Amino acid sequence: MSNSLSDTIPLHPSSQSDIDEIENLIHNSIQTGPATVLPARSPSPPRASIPVSSSPFIQSNLPPPPLNSQSNYQKPPLPAATVPAVTAPPPPPLGADSRQNIAASGFGSASNTLTEPVWDTVKRDLSRIVSNLKLVVFPNPYREDPGKALRDWDLWGPFFFVIFLGLTLSWSASVKKSEVFAVAFALLAAGAVILTLNVLLLGGHIIFFQSLSLLGYCLFPLDVGALICMLKDNVIVKLIIVCVTLAWSSWAAYPFMSTAVNPRRKALALYPVFLMYVSVGFLIIAID
Amino acid sequence: MRMDQIQPPVENYANPKACFFHVLFKAAALAFYILSALFISNFVIIFVVTVFLAALDFWVVKNVSGRILVGLRWWNEINELGESVWKFESLNQESLARINKKDSWLFWWTLYLTAVVWIFLGIFSLVRLQADYVLVVAVCLSLSIANIVGFTKCRKDAKKQIQQFATQTVASRLSSTIQSAFSVV
Repeated sequence: MSNSLSDTIPLHPSSQSDIDEIENLIHNSIQTGPATVLPARSPSPPRASIPVSSSPFIQSNLPPPPLNSQSNYQKPPLPAATVPAVTAPPPPPLGADSRQNIAASGFGSASNTLTEPVWDTVKRDLSRIVSNLKLVVFPNPYREDPGKALRDWDLWGPFFFVIFLGLTLSWSASVKKSEVFAVAFALLAAGAVILTLNVLLLGGHIIFFQSLSLLGYCLFPLDVGALICMLKDNVIVKLIIVCVTLAWSSWAAYPFMSTAVNPRRKALALYPVFLMYVSVGFLIIAID
Repeated sequence: MRMDQIQPPVENYANPKACFFHVLFKAAALAFYILSALFISNFVIIFVVTVFLAALDFWVVKNVSGRILVGLRWWNEINELGESVWKFESLNQESLARINKKDSWLFWWTLYLTAVVWIFLGIFSLVRLQADYVLVVAVCLSLSIANIVGFTKCRKDAKKQIQQFATQTVASRLSSTIQSAFSVV
């Protein structure tokens, strides 16, 4: 056993020889497919739109059978490289590329997200927030297909929007600022969770975090409304602004929520969402 | 050639900057929360600053120190069928073997320790019936737990991959040995 490695290996001693064999296989075999040596691979190129991000060689816990069914459902708009190692054309060139990459530079490969510079990660996350915002809140061709709408969900956007709304409301309040903030935050956070559970209990098909993310992003118009209301203190103006932003928020949330459930239960799923946004609107108007 | 790439066993942390940032935001969030109750009366500031520091810490651990200190990464994706898939990624075998033991010890211990401290603080707030502070603690605790669960699953997945691969390697070597034996005959 090599004693220079013995201090740092957290592995069982018998796997030392396996490490040598693994190395040989890395350098020799290229076409053995994704089940064997999988050094780290970057999951996706920087995401400007809504690609499903996966690359052929991620060490993922996906079992093989679903991958086969995925290839049947591949839709034209999405890039071809998304289906891992099932469609024949993309993997071999990528495979050769990644093997050469890893063999050549090992730990320091620049195309890995495991070894990318920190600034790249920051930029990637920021651009994802912006793109999610544009997808959800502004009109765009992908709105009608809610499954695609928030494929790359993230919770940073919603987090910032909720905090911003709480801060704005708290700032506008002349008394009880802390309570206003706490109430606004708790209302929005608990409200998003409960609305998601509501859809799930109605037999709808959504993913928990995707829905939380969507409901958070739909708060953006109300954020804008609250900011304007904070600056302009006239009641009539506030009323108009809140109505406009409320309609905008509801419009943003509508496609996703309505297609997630059975059509006969659409109103049951949408009504609580609308109710929550109306109550937030009331908070904005009533605070002075 | 491989011997040249191996670092000599190091006494100190291999990535001191990453370790520092890993601990910095956790400690700052905890310290601010504990000390602010003595000096600041405005709850909003306490909430926003503590939660912001905790969120920063979550991001740093997930995206930076997890990668650098232990070579693990986890995230969630939604696939073509609209199903949620948790993806785990880890360094290849050789790089994993080169991870500094002190780094990974620090990583895992501070991760667990922070969660435990938040639980204690939560119990204090509960006992004092301060709902506002329970809210703060709940948010920070859920962020810590998310990271713990994510990284633990990722580490188990990496170990499983190693074992699976080792088994496959042994099996394939065995079959190729048998084949070559037969071809000679």
